[in-house]
Amino acid sequence: MSWSRAEILALATKAARGAAAPPGQAAQFGQAAAQHLGRGRSADDLLRALEQLPSGPILQIPVEISRVMISAEGQQSIDASVEVGAYAALFESYLESLPCKTTITARTPETFHVVLESAVPAPGVSLDRITGCDLAIEKMTTLAARTFVPESEASRLAGAGAGLTDND
Amino acid sequence: MKDLSAPPQAPLRSPGQVMRLSRMGSMFPTRLSFLRTLTRFLAAENAQVTRHVWQMCPEGYGHAVYCVTLGGYTYSLVAVSTQLAPEERTDRVIATAWDTAYVLYDGVPDADEIARICSAAPKQEAARFTERDLVLSRANKSVRLFAHVVERLRAGQQPDAAMVRQIGYLMRTTAVYGNGKFGIADRVVIETRPGLSGPFMAEMLTVWLIRHFTHDLVEHVGQGTLDRRLKRHLGIGNSTGLGMAPFLVTHPVLLNNWMLARETALARVRAVPRLDSASVQRLHDLATRAAQHLSQWQVPDTRHQQRIDDLRRDWARVLAWLTPENMMADHAIEALLSWSSDQTEDVQELIVALVIELFPDLVDGLTDCMADPIGPMAALPRDTNALRDAIEAHFVWALQLDYAATDQCQQFWYVSSAKQEPRLGNRFAEAGAELESPLDIARRIRALYDDLPSEPVGICAFLERHPEHFLAVSRAGLAGHYPYAEIRDNLIAENCLPIDMLRCKLSFFGASKFDPKSDRWTRITLCQGAPLADELDARADDWWLPVFGP
Repeated sequence: MSWSRAEILALATKAARGAAAPPGQAAQFGQAAAQHLGRGRSADDLLRALEQLPSGPILQIPVEISRVMISAEGQQSIDASVEVGAYAALFESYLESLPCKTTITARTPETFHVVLESAVPAPGVSLDRITGCDLAIEKMTTLAARTFVPESEASRLAGAGAGLTDND
Repeated sequence: MKDLSAPPQAPLRSPGQVMRLSRMGSMFPTRLSFLRTLTRFLAAENAQVTRHVWQMCPEGYGHAVYCVTLGGYTYSLVAVSTQLAPEERTDRVIATAWDTAYVLYDGVPDADEIARICSAAPKQEAARFTERDLVLSRANKSVRLFAHVVERLRAGQQPDAAMVRQIGYLMRTTAVYGNGKFGIADRVVIETRPGLSGPFMAEMLTVWLIRHFTHDLVEHVGQGTLDRRLKRHLGIGNSTGLGMAPFLVTHPVLLNNWMLARETALARVRAVPRLDSASVQRLHDLATRAAQHLSQWQVPDTRHQQRIDDLRRDWARVLAWLTPENMMADHAIEALLSWSSDQTEDVQELIVALVIELFPDLVDGLTDCMADPIGPMAALPRDTNALRDAIEAHFVWALQLDYAATDQCQQFWYVSSAKQEPRLGNRFAEAGAELESPLDIARRIRALYDDLPSEPVGICAFLERHPEHFLAVSRAGLAGHYPYAEIRDNLIAENCLPIDMLRCKLSFFGASKFDPKSDRWTRITLCQGAPLADELDARADDWWLPVFGP
């Protein structure tokens, strides 16, 4: 089965929230997850990150990237080193999901050297469909379901449009 | 050399004035609305709609395929019509069957693809779709009008004009899904294509083609031809519930771009020094049309009907203001807007839409700025002092509220496990508040503000200590760059009316005849008065606030 990027983005965001990530970081994880799978990177990276909540890379990477973004404010381009720890591939996906252009110019096992061009939009994303991650989808779906309020009669009756005939 | 400088403009209205729910809930469609943009493009392209397939039984069940070429690409609407038991007909998200189902297809589907879509589309969310499917939709009949039109056509007569005017559509869509939902193509696939690069343009094209199909279907079943004037007034209905409201909160840059385009259009129009005689006549004609539109806008809900009645009465004062002397004076538009400052928000926003309508050359180009192809280009504030400054500059409205008070936190937004239907609950009477969706931006900003240290701390160090504030810090960071990104009201307050958010978004789509059924869902009409497929050369762009007439 193939998946759209938007599906992965929405599902991963909900999964992160279901695994106790705060909503801002969950949204960034959703963006990165779509990029990650879209690039054919390992879905296991995503699952490992989700397992570490409420700490780990889903909380740490957005802060690291914010540090770089802040230092780039007001400059056309900056050169920075970032600690990527044991999550190099996921970190790369986060960088690629930024709206501005980022280029990794050098990498060591735990560090990226990054050029960030704050006024240059990121290149377009791949149009390829996402495949080969059904197990991760299943696990993320289970986590995402934790954010849904169980159906009840009262809830159903309070929903928009309840109790009205549509045979008009 | 072409002059690319921007036209003169007056100051923009402040976000504090514009981004209030009550004003957003008073908005009307304008010439910047997406359906208007679409029909202008269709006309410019001299687009021809062809009926590629028509496999329909006499009762109107089967499938059809329509093709249209835009910007060098051919798109096809595959329409599937099935029999539906009355007890299954509901407009809610939790429905599982519909009268008709649709896919906007990228290209021209072959027989296998048509068969695939005919099997999958009626299942909607329960099926999977492919990257060739751009939009997924469904629609239910207005049973009484569809049956009436069929009956009249079969009798060799035209339908009752009053009934056509009152209902305004043969079918109403209950969802129009784009951007990757259920496996359909991501928006990125079409976002650079001519005609579809603007927000929701593929969805609007789908809606316009669905309307065309409903006309064909009723003529097929009725075995007659609808009068063109009636047909033109038959738009496509839509039922919209809470699912649309969170979108405005979760897409702050897009919301900013829509509102900024509209406010820039208004600011340009305000700066027009003098109206020529043709513009004076046009202004008067459009204002008269608006009055006629209001007179034809009837809804069952007594509270909303009263509001419409009040607007009709107040609009008479606007017409009275539009004397030749006032309209020929210097800065007439500015004078009209200034005069309206003590009128209701309904009057003010209708005047905004009216004056924007008058100046296509000044405003139509702004539609190119209404998408968000890049995302938020804004860094977080550097430290907690800068963050405090940003909050105090842009979120004073959020700091003034007591979120511990029952009335300021009474509601909570959530997603039900039933087909993931978005809902709004009462925090003090219903279960599930611990799973609240994060639409409480105002409360989050206040909580962040309260946790700011007295001595400045770098923002990253602060976020390491307070990861729960990341969303609020991000929104504060956006505010300086995107002034219209935030709805400046407490969305969990007892008095928050989701219908205001729905109306704002739907007005950008080009909806009219808002028909609220409660404070959380509404029916509307799209494409009413819009050009028919064979009228794009003559009537493409003069259907603001449609009226029933020639």
